[in-house]
Amino acid sequence: MKEQNSIPTSKVERSAKFVTTGIKVGGNYIKHYSKKLFNPAQTRDELNENNATDIYNSLSELKGSALKIAQMLSMDKGILPKAYADKFSLSQYNAPPLSGPLIVKTFSNYFGKTPFELFDKFEIKSTNAASIGQVHKAELNGKKLAIKIQYPGVGDSISSDLKLVKPFAFRLLGMSEKELDIYMKEVEQKMLEETDYELEVKRSIEFSEACKPVQNLVFPEYFPKLSGKRIITMSWLEGLHLKEFLATNPSQKLRNKIGQALWDFYHFQMHELRAVHADPHPGNFMITPAEQLAVIDFGCIKEIPEDFYEPYFALTSTDVLKDKTETIKLFRELGMILPNDSEQQINFYHKNYKEMIELFSRPYSEQVFNFAGENYINNLFAYGEQVANTPEFKQARGVKHFIYINRTNFGLYNLLHDLGAVINTQSYTSHPLTV
Amino acid sequence: MAAKSTQIPLKEKILQAYMDYILSNGTNPPSVYVFSKSISIKESEFYQEFSSFESLDGEIWNSEFEETLVSVKSQEVYDGYSAREKTLSLYFAFIAKLLQNRSFAVYSYRKSLNGLRTPAVFHKLKMKFNEFSDEVILEGLDTGEIIDRRFITDRYKDGLWVQFKFVVDFWVKDKSNGFEKTDEAIEKGVNLTFDLFARSPLDSLLDYGKFLSRNANFQFSSK
Repeated sequence: MKEQNSIPTSKVERSAKFVTTGIKVGGNYIKHYSKKLFNPAQTRDELNENNATDIYNSLSELKGSALKIAQMLSMDKGILPKAYADKFSLSQYNAPPLSGPLIVKTFSNYFGKTPFELFDKFEIKSTNAASIGQVHKAELNGKKLAIKIQYPGVGDSISSDLKLVKPFAFRLLGMSEKELDIYMKEVEQKMLEETDYELEVKRSIEFSEACKPVQNLVFPEYFPKLSGKRIITMSWLEGLHLKEFLATNPSQKLRNKIGQALWDFYHFQMHELRAVHADPHPGNFMITPAEQLAVIDFGCIKEIPEDFYEPYFALTSTDVLKDKTETIKLFRELGMILPNDSEQQINFYHKNYKEMIELFSRPYSEQVFNFAGENYINNLFAYGEQVANTPEFKQARGVKHFIYINRTNFGLYNLLHDLGAVINTQSYTSHPLTV
Repeated sequence: MAAKSTQIPLKEKILQAYMDYILSNGTNPPSVYVFSKSISIKESEFYQEFSSFESLDGEIWNSEFEETLVSVKSQEVYDGYSAREKTLSLYFAFIAKLLQNRSFAVYSYRKSLNGLRTPAVFHKLKMKFNEFSDEVILEGLDTGEIIDRRFITDRYKDGLWVQFKFVVDFWVKDKSNGFEKTDEAIEKGVNLTFDLFARSPLDSLLDYGKFLSRNANFQFSSK
C-alpha cells in the first residue's frame, strides 16, 4: 500500500478526498471502456479492482473516527467491512432532493392519496435531508408533523456497491471469502434494515416505549397508519442539533444533563433491552427547549446476543482481566484468539487486547468520568494508530458483532466528548439477563 | 344486459372488447372479420371507427394519455409547479395510468416496435404530447427556467419526446419492485433534460467566445 503523507483533517479536505476518489473511479470507467474498445475480452474484474483500490486508499487515508475504533480493537479484518460501513454508510447516498411530483407519486402509491389530501397542510419543499431521504413539515388536526420520505432505489445501490468492492477486499486482506463474508453480511444486512421504513416505525415505537424509565429523554410520536415502506410520519419536535446547541454556549450543568441522558439511553438499551441504537451520529439527536434529549432516528438497531454480551461485559466491567487464564478463555469466546494460535501468538494478543480494553473501558472503571479533556480521546486515537501499524493485527479477529458495537461505543464517546460532559458511568451496569 | 350493451357507443364497445380479447388470449384477434363477428357487429362497422388493429392501439394509448393530462392538470398544485415539475408530474402520472393496464400496455408496445421508427402506439398520442411540450417550454422560456437558444429552441420538444419514449421503454423492461427504477429514470432524466435546457456555463463560454472573436478582429484591423 502507498504511504500516507498527511491525514486530511478538516471536513472540507475530507469531502475533497471523496470527490477525488469519485473522479478516479470515473476515470477507471473511462480507462475500462477505452481498453475494451481495443480488447473486447477485457473483463470488469480489473475495473472493479481499480475502483476498489481507489476507494480503499481514500478510506484508509481518512482516518475517520469510526475507522479508528476498528483499528483500535485491531480486528484489522474488521476494518474493511467497517470501512464499507462508513464509505457506503447511508449518508453517502445524498441524492439530489426529490421533486414535488415524485413526492406526490410516492404518496399516491402507498396511500392512494396525494399528501395534500392526506394532511391539512403539507410543505412540498423539504426542510432538511435525512440520510437516505428528506424531511417535510406537515399538519393534521392541528398537530405538527415531520414526514420522512425515502429516495427510490436506495436498497439496490447498497447491495451493488458492496458487491463492487468485494472482490478487491479478498485480495487486499488475503482473507478467504468465507471469513470476509461474515463481516460483509453483517454490514449489508444492517444497511438494508435501515432502508426498511416499516421496520423502523415498529422499532421506534417499541424503543420509545421501552426507554421510558430513562430520564430527560423524549421521542417523537409515530403514526403507523400514515407510514409505509418509504414514508414515516412522526410528530414534529422543536429543538437544536448538537452543533447549534453548543453554539448557544450552554452551562456545564446543562451539558452534563444532556450527556447523562445520552449515556443512560445507551446503557439502558445495552443492559436492559440487549439491543442498541447503533448509530450515535449527531444528526440523530436534538436538544429540546425543555432541556431534554430527543432521539429522532431508529434506523439502525444492533441486537446483542447473550453469547456476545456475557464475555464482552465480563471483560470491560469486571476484574477478570487480572486473571490471565480466564481472560484468554473469554478472548477465545469472542474470536479474538483463534483455535490455531500458537503459544507465542496467544501471549501477544493477550497482552495487546488487554491494554486496549483497559484503555477503552476506563470510563467504566471510574465512578464519574470527564469526557471533556482532549487527553482521553487522543489516547484512543494514538493507540489506534500504533495498532494499525502492527502487522500481527492484519488478520481476521473478533466476532462480527464487534463491528456495530464498536461503532456505537466510539460514536457515543465522541458525542460525549463534543458535549464536554461529566458523566456518572454507573447508572446502568451490566447484569445477567433476568428472565 | 343486451339492451344495456347497445347503449355503449360502438367505439367504446370495440375498444373494450379488443382489450379484453388481448388480455385473455395474449395475442391479437386473428382478423377484423373474426373479431367483429365475436362481438356481433359487422366488419364494416369496425372500419367506420378504426382502420386497423394498429390504429386501435394508437387510440387506446392516446385516450390514456389524454385522461392523464386532464387529471394532472386538475391537481391543485399543478399551477404552482415549474415547467420541470409539470413535466415530471405528467410522466409519473402517465406511467401510473399505464400500470393499471400493464399487460395490455406491454403487449401492444412490444407488438408495435418497429426498428427505429416511432412505435405505432405513439402515433396519435404524439400530437397531444407535442401540444403539452409547447405549452411547458413556452412557459419555461417566459419564466427564464429555459434559455432561448437560436436554432435549438425549436428542437427542445423533440428532446422531451425522445425522453418520453425512453421512459415508456424503460418501464416496459423494468423488473424492479413497484417499478421504482422507472421512478428514478424519470426523476433523473427529466432533471438532466431541464438542466440542459437551462442556462449553463457553455452558454456563457459561447457568448464570451463570440465577444472575443469580434473584438480581437477589431483590434487587428485597427493596427
